[in-house]
Amino acid sequence: MTRLRLVIPTLLTLSTLVLCSAPAYAAKAAQAAQTVGENMPSHHDDRTALGQFIVDVAAPICVAVLLIAVCLCIYRMIRGPHLADRVLAGDTIAILVVGIVAVFSVMLESDLFFDAALVVAIIGFASTVAFSQYIGAKRKTDDTTTNTPPPETPA
Amino acid sequence: MNWVLDILALISLAFGLFFMMVGALGLVRLPDVYHRIHAASKATTLGLLGLLLAAVLHVGTFGVATKALLTIVFAFVATPIGSHMLAKAAHRDGAEQWSGTLADDLAEDHPTP
Repeated sequence: MTRLRLVIPTLLTLSTLVLCSAPAYAAKAAQAAQTVGENMPSHHDDRTALGQFIVDVAAPICVAVLLIAVCLCIYRMIRGPHLADRVLAGDTIAILVVGIVAVFSVMLESDLFFDAALVVAIIGFASTVAFSQYIGAKRKTDDTTTNTPPPETPA
Repeated sequence: MNWVLDILALISLAFGLFFMMVGALGLVRLPDVYHRIHAASKATTLGLLGLLLAAVLHVGTFGVATKALLTIVFAFVATPIGSHMLAKAAHRDGAEQWSGTLADDLAEDHPTP
């Protein structure tokens, strides 16, 4: 049981690092899509000045703030006194990654990554449910092993 | 017409960003597990709603609209269920409560041995 207490936060942190590398891949794919898009006739030339402002200024600020939020969640995941804190931080990071993907699709004006967003949301929910089953069942097994009734002494 | 959609997209982007940041700050600053679950689940669900609405309003194609609607419905169903299960499991595991907690009805109904 103590070994599991060490292994599970390590696994959570590793999966978080993998999740946080997703925006980097998205940025690389964004560059590739832009270089492809320059060769094709674009239908976004009728963009207004405010739309240009959203793409150029607001969306990168959004991505930066969401990455700061991911860093706060990683702090709680490392620090968290209870296992539920770490699991909650992982769930929040999954939701934040979905938000980052949404902002990337605003920047790109395409729906390339929305499937990835849905998959990340589903995996986050499934992992939260599985970990909460584990947390809730852990105490029960501890009780059956440690809190056995003491042998009755003759009066 | 186009700039109205852009203004709405900018407003919903700011809405979503505000709630996402509030959720992450609550995750860091609040005193115990149950407060953190409260802050993170509510705030990030609303934040996801704002960001996905911004994507729908700015891009405006049919594919983005359907996928964003699917994700919003899934998030609004799944996040409360997941956080409820997590809070119940943490309570059953005996997670530490804030010193200012006034009542614990679940412990009165189901006393832990």
